[in-house]
Amino acid sequence: MRYLYHAMRMNLKSIAQYRASFLMQNIAQFIMVGGEFLAVVVLMTRFSSAGQWRAEEIMFFWGTMQLTFALCECLGRGISTFAYYVGSGDFDTILLRPRPLMQQVVGHRLDPRRLGGMIVGAGAIAMACARLNIVWTLEKLGLTLIAALGGFFLILGLFLIEATVSFFSVRSIEMVNVLTYGGRTTCEYPVDIYPRPLRILFTWVAPFALSMHLPISHVLGKPLFDVPMALVWLAPLTGPVFFLLMTRVWYIGVKHYRSTGT
Amino acid sequence: MMQKLRPYLTAFRVRALLETQYRGAALGGLVTQMFFGMVYAYLYSALYAGRDPAGLQATITYVWLQQMFFRALFMSDGELQQQIMTGSLAYTLCRPVDQHLYWISRNLAAQTVGALMRALPMLLVQFLLPADIRMSLPASPLALAQFTISLVLGIFCVSQIQAIGLACVMKTLDHRGLSSMLSLLLMTFSGNVVPLTLFPDSFQQLIRYQPFAQVLDAPIRMYLEGQPMGDWLINLVIQLMWIAALMALGRWMWARQLRNVTVQGG
Repeated sequence: MRYLYHAMRMNLKSIAQYRASFLMQNIAQFIMVGGEFLAVVVLMTRFSSAGQWRAEEIMFFWGTMQLTFALCECLGRGISTFAYYVGSGDFDTILLRPRPLMQQVVGHRLDPRRLGGMIVGAGAIAMACARLNIVWTLEKLGLTLIAALGGFFLILGLFLIEATVSFFSVRSIEMVNVLTYGGRTTCEYPVDIYPRPLRILFTWVAPFALSMHLPISHVLGKPLFDVPMALVWLAPLTGPVFFLLMTRVWYIGVKHYRSTGT
Repeated sequence: MMQKLRPYLTAFRVRALLETQYRGAALGGLVTQMFFGMVYAYLYSALYAGRDPAGLQATITYVWLQQMFFRALFMSDGELQQQIMTGSLAYTLCRPVDQHLYWISRNLAAQTVGALMRALPMLLVQFLLPADIRMSLPASPLALAQFTISLVLGIFCVSQIQAIGLACVMKTLDHRGLSSMLSLLLMTFSGNVVPLTLFPDSFQQLIRYQPFAQVLDAPIRMYLEGQPMGDWLINLVIQLMWIAALMALGRWMWARQLRNVTVQGG
């Protein structure tokens, strides 16, 4: 972990060298995610509810997803852009260094301009909370936190699938986007509004429902699944478990890695 | 006249041929667009919740048509950016052609062929979908004709918008931030993220006549319900007016930018 800390510090230092650019990119991100926010607002003005969820509740789900996803793109930039390092041969450099591989990949890049996206996500959550009059207890705060953490690792794991695919095919990453960006778009809304195939996909294959929606549904007081409270607390663990699983798969991929050569 | 147009037609043809080589990308796009189309169709089914089945059907059709022609909205041609970065722009500038028109003809080819390569298979896949998320047929043969003609103008329109976008990013060496912002603007206000038909009624007049809506939204509205000849012609005139205005702006910006362009590298 010391390596990771060091790498992140170096990244921050290099970003601090380009302050104006950093500010501009953050504003750009803010506007971009703001555009998506506008989309949800338009839909919610038109329809005012989705399934059993009221507009404000949907806003809560949406905000959590945006916040988590932006955080993931910020800290996990090294994983989400991994395909480029394979294509450019940068991965060779990484392989040569006598430091833990995964830490190096994660520490390779940091993308703090996602801060803009995080602010919009947090803003949406705050707005939803204000309208819903949620009484914050320690339990609810804890559930929100582990939902964000579970989602964070789950999304990182999904990006790792993309990274692993890039060992075998330098192009055609677009298709794998379905899981990451498709997952984001789909799971901005709680899974129970979708028909069965999508519900199964995002509960058991890419478990957004277990890691994010279930704890949040308890925060909102409308449990998604009828399970004991202990399981609700454990469900977000699917995120880290998924991540660890994909890390193993990725390491198998590393064994098959052939340099593109330059 | 023909002689003068020849370089542009050739550029169009060459770029179109090149685009047909990217079959892997087209397949990838097809899978992604199908997935997003299905998710949106189910999402709107949930949002409508049984109210207004006709409205839901129209929205689903709207979503599918947007997904089919998504490629036209997507600015992929990073070639000029690369040329500016590497300095090979110098060779391009040596060509005795109008740079703006030359780029537009190449862009038109990429957008048209790229979009068709995704749209046609997607049309076939429609037959395999469950009936409740399938797109519906055009309102009438006339509506289909109106849609097709308007769509051609729409693609002209998006090319002009993208040329302007390119002129905006020409100055910066790292164009990614600004580029993705522009493409998001385009996707939001052309109705790809949320159908423009779902915006509040009080906004409708404003939102349907802005330039981004001329690309896909205007044709799709014709597909959904055919328009009386008079209304249709007015719509076409609006599209043409925007094309002319955007083209004038784009040409002015290009002329300015290319005069000041710095050739990098050595």
